[in-house]
Amino acid sequence: MPGEGPGVEPETRPSADTLLEFRDVNTYYGDMHALKDVNYTIGRGEIVSLLGGNACGKSTTMKTIMGVVRPTTGTVTFDGVAIEKLPTSERVRRGIVPVLEARRLFPRMTIYENLEMGAYTRKRGAEFDADLDRVYSLFPRVKERQGQLAGTLSGGEQQMVAIGRALMAHPRLICMDEPSMGLSPLYVEQVFDIIQEINRQGTTIFMVEQNANMALSIAHRAYVLQTGQVVLSGTADELRENPMIREAYLGEMQA
Amino acid sequence: MKALDAMFTSIAVRPFAGMAPERRRALGLLVLAAVLLAFPYIHDNDGDIDSAANAMSYAVLALGLNIVVGFAGLLDLGYAAFFAIGAYYYGIFSSFQVMPPWSGFWDPFAMLGLVEKINRGGPDLVHFTLSFWLALPTAAVVTAFFGILFGAPTLRLRGDYLAIVTLGFGEIVPIVARNVDSVTNGAAGLNGIQAPKLFGHSFGVSATPYYYVGLALVALLIFVSLRLRDSRIGRAWMAIREDATAASAMGINLTRFKLMAFAIGAAFAGMTGVYFVAKLQTATPEMFNFAVSSMLLVMVVLGGMGSVWGVVLGAVLLQLLQTWFLPELTGWVHQLGAALGAPLLQQIDFVNSTQLIFGVILVVMMLFRRDGLIPATRKMPALSYAAQHAEVRRGGFVNLDRIPRWSPAPGNALEVRGVTVKFGGLVALNAVDLTVPAGGVVAVIGPNGSGKSTLFNVITGLVEANAGSIKFEGAELLGLAPHQVLERGVARTFQNIRLFPNLNVLENVLIGQHARLRSGPFASVLHTPGNRAEEAAATGWAMDIIGLFGNRLMPRIAQTVSGLSYANRRRVEIARALASRPKILLLDEPTAGMNPAETLELAEQIKSLHELGLTILLIEHKLDVVTRLADRVVVLDHGDKIAEGRPDEVRRNEEVLTAYLGRAARAALMEEDHAR
Amino acid sequence: MTAVDLFVQQLINGLSLGAMYSLLALGFTLVYGIMELINFSHFNVFMVGCMIAMLTLQAMGLSGQSVILSGAPLVLTLLAGFGVSMVLCGFIGVGIERFLLRPLRDVKGPAAMITTIGVSYVLFNLVLLTLGSDSKNFPNPLPPVVFPIGGAVLRLREVLIWITAAVMMFALNYFTRYTKLGKAMRATAQDPEAARMMGVEVDRVIMISFFIGSALAGASGMIFGLYYNLAKVDIGFAAGLRAFTAAVLGGIGNVPGAMLGGVLIGLIEAMSAQALGSAWSDVVIFSLLVLVLVFRPAGLLGRLAPNKS
Repeated sequence: MPGEGPGVEPETRPSADTLLEFRDVNTYYGDMHALKDVNYTIGRGEIVSLLGGNACGKSTTMKTIMGVVRPTTGTVTFDGVAIEKLPTSERVRRGIVPVLEARRLFPRMTIYENLEMGAYTRKRGAEFDADLDRVYSLFPRVKERQGQLAGTLSGGEQQMVAIGRALMAHPRLICMDEPSMGLSPLYVEQVFDIIQEINRQGTTIFMVEQNANMALSIAHRAYVLQTGQVVLSGTADELRENPMIREAYLGEMQA
Repeated sequence: MKALDAMFTSIAVRPFAGMAPERRRALGLLVLAAVLLAFPYIHDNDGDIDSAANAMSYAVLALGLNIVVGFAGLLDLGYAAFFAIGAYYYGIFSSFQVMPPWSGFWDPFAMLGLVEKINRGGPDLVHFTLSFWLALPTAAVVTAFFGILFGAPTLRLRGDYLAIVTLGFGEIVPIVARNVDSVTNGAAGLNGIQAPKLFGHSFGVSATPYYYVGLALVALLIFVSLRLRDSRIGRAWMAIREDATAASAMGINLTRFKLMAFAIGAAFAGMTGVYFVAKLQTATPEMFNFAVSSMLLVMVVLGGMGSVWGVVLGAVLLQLLQTWFLPELTGWVHQLGAALGAPLLQQIDFVNSTQLIFGVILVVMMLFRRDGLIPATRKMPALSYAAQHAEVRRGGFVNLDRIPRWSPAPGNALEVRGVTVKFGGLVALNAVDLTVPAGGVVAVIGPNGSGKSTLFNVITGLVEANAGSIKFEGAELLGLAPHQVLERGVARTFQNIRLFPNLNVLENVLIGQHARLRSGPFASVLHTPGNRAEEAAATGWAMDIIGLFGNRLMPRIAQTVSGLSYANRRRVEIARALASRPKILLLDEPTAGMNPAETLELAEQIKSLHELGLTILLIEHKLDVVTRLADRVVVLDHGDKIAEGRPDEVRRNEEVLTAYLGRAARAALMEEDHAR
Repeated sequence: MTAVDLFVQQLINGLSLGAMYSLLALGFTLVYGIMELINFSHFNVFMVGCMIAMLTLQAMGLSGQSVILSGAPLVLTLLAGFGVSMVLCGFIGVGIERFLLRPLRDVKGPAAMITTIGVSYVLFNLVLLTLGSDSKNFPNPLPPVVFPIGGAVLRLREVLIWITAAVMMFALNYFTRYTKLGKAMRATAQDPEAARMMGVEVDRVIMISFFIGSALAGASGMIFGLYYNLAKVDIGFAAGLRAFTAAVLGGIGNVPGAMLGGVLIGLIEAMSAQALGSAWSDVVIFSLLVLVLVFRPAGLLGRLAPNKS
């Protein structure tokens, strides 16, 4: 294979602390070999970031986690259980919850209804109310506007609702697809602060992000994906120092 | 199915296996033509010859519908309306239905033989006597006009709405025919329509002369269909069918070519209408209702949408089904019932279930064989990644000597001033200024969602600006349709690759030249010397462009692009844009999805184009590519231009560092400064 | 009749037609909202619903206008007619979706729409072959109660049609606005992929939409029979085209829009029949469809476009 980058790390061994694991996953998306022998390990309580350019396989990774596309070969395990044959709804029920690229709220439903949709797989009750309170305390502005149609919000406000909607599913793993996309720098900082806060409260985060610096500034570990292959992985500090990533993804330019 | 195909192939082809494919084909056609010509003498049964003549008219209709549905992808459910218009046109002007009072006005028409003066007691009246042979071509013109009239309001509609609107037109025409009694004789229908005459002999009631006229019509329209399919016109239709947005961005005038498809399709139907009523010598509204439109759709679907021979086969098969197979089958079942003493079997009449079978055919074909019996595009197996892998080349394009140098006029090629684009409440671009000097390379960078692709879309006319101006070589681009922008010399690629997936590499690149070619439908059908020279030159230029990519694309020119690797699809898209002979090339993330080696190769190739003098505007995320190529960099964030300058200047800009490059890059720069 | 009486009478007729078209339009709108598919089979599911209702009433001993019922037997008979036609039509819709459309869910182009045209054809011809093409007498058990309004008359059947349609529309509105499944349906219509990511079983939601839409087509088939006192194999086309126009007029994908559009189309048909003659009402309705599509493609209340921004 061309483009086998230097510095491919030996994969981390799965352990009891592993929440999500990709093992030798190959996914075809349409007629395109979108993921090639991909291995990821995401530990409980971690923030793991997935970096790479457009069309590198980041979206396919997300779709494979959520069960929108099925891997052709390889296994995906969540909490020690193989999930690659489970439908999306069952994955959500088990606590794998996405925050979609470009937010994707239901524009003609109210903010409250959007939050309700987040809790779709769950029963109404005390737990629902507690989660709603948690969302409202994280995002006071969301509470103020709960009766408003989601389509009328600004991009940053929509991202808050999108994150709130994910929290309503009582997630164990949140998969974020480009949370900074289309947001102004001010909101980007806020969103990343909130992601860190949610993680501190105990939720594991897997984040696809092209703003590599922001991602590495809060992530514990990261993978670098290139034309469907993991070409680099390591802790955030290691990756920040890696010349290859600095060159291609951190804006460091060749002289 | 496959086994059957193989069997047919082995039986039919093996004795001629030594012949060249074209000669084998020609021989086959010759045999077919001889059999068809001799049919009335071999099989002297007027009823069967009549059914064969009907089959001819359905084949012509199916060919016409195939132009609209199969070639251009416009699902027309009311096609029978044009059939009706042609039929009533001839019916009215060759019968005693409409007889205005005679006056001097009619004298010149009488001299041409179009009318005659008659007297049925009372004042003299006009009797229209339009000849069949004159009616055929004029009906084509008249119905083509109606095709444009009915097509025009549907142009901006999505495919599925188009279906229901055409369905409505197909309903309205028979309603009008039924209710405008004075002209059409209402539900009773027109009677006494003249039979065609040839050298003074009327065709009368024998089916044989009609059979030959029908055969000639089918042959003519197969010929026209094939010629159109393989021309600039046919390529434009197929491009619209595959991806209308990309088609317009590659210079195809959607309005003109959609209407052309409607008009030519309608003309086929109009001629058939003349033929059909001349044969029946009557026309009633029921002959043209939705049942006819849907039967034609079944023929096209059965044979294969877009497949010329397929739809003819579909028409013939359905006609055989109706006139031969179902009556025979009914007979067999009745005999079986008699033999078994089962009265129930004797009551079954399969002829009544023709329509039911049509419905079943539609469903079954859609579920199991969507491309029809004879698919229009022979699917080539997709190439494996390994088969497409080629050694990475360094040092830019090869064969550049075949490409003329660009000699841009000095000054600014592209000037974007204060352009604002809003989607609802969202500001995608906010008063953006940008200048691309002639012969220069400018890169636009910024995070996803910062408005880069919107900038390309507004330049190329795909989205409208709320304010501002975009001048290319001094002339305003805003307000132009995408195809007009391309005609001015602005060509682009798309971030998510928008090729025409079911067409091959050569066809895709030829479509890129659409705006530089001139052949119209008549030249394309007649293969005029000018048209032949133009097509040859177009193919030559396409091969020169494809040749730039060397062994990446050259071995795959006949491959459908959907089977290519991602990187090769990107290359085809660049080739398609280059084929249009652009003065400025807009590349939207040309290296996305490519590995570093491929990225470097493409960057050097783009650089070699630049060295030939081509002006380039580039969206790119990979900053090493930007540094390698660009003279200037423009940084967008959140719809605002936050910086502009030489790559090394931009890299040091405070705002860029915070918004895009981020903290780590700033830290790295500070270290660098420290070290000095 | 004075001009005012004529107007009032056509208003009454128009509202009844409108009730029928609204129920039928809901089927188009529910399916289009989720799948962006014009379901041509809906035209003839409606016709089949009318036939089923007729057969049900006949099976209960009613034929033509000979048996008049009142009180509980009338209510029970009507409930049976509506119930049987709605349930059977609902299952026909589900069958079409499950076995013929689901395999084509991810196929681009017109394949799914062509399939629904084929299904429509099959339904039409099955009824034609089994029940024939003649116009049939639809049983009418309603007592001939008439409320005169000036010179115009309001019949019991009109009142009954309005009440039935209103109840169903309120029920559907409540369902989509306030129940969990109804909200899932709306969410799926607005953004199927996002809905799926929330854990909504999109296949099930689509199936339920087909059931509800087709059941409402069954109900409007019953209403057609009660209103015109006839059932005929070719009623699907004209009614379907009007209902589709109603759905587009209201904003396709929009549930209240379909209801509003249906009522408007019913009124327009009644008034134009009065003014131009009923032979031209197809032309009027259809011209309206073209005008709406060309000049206001989002309809009166706005279309639910999937959120792609």
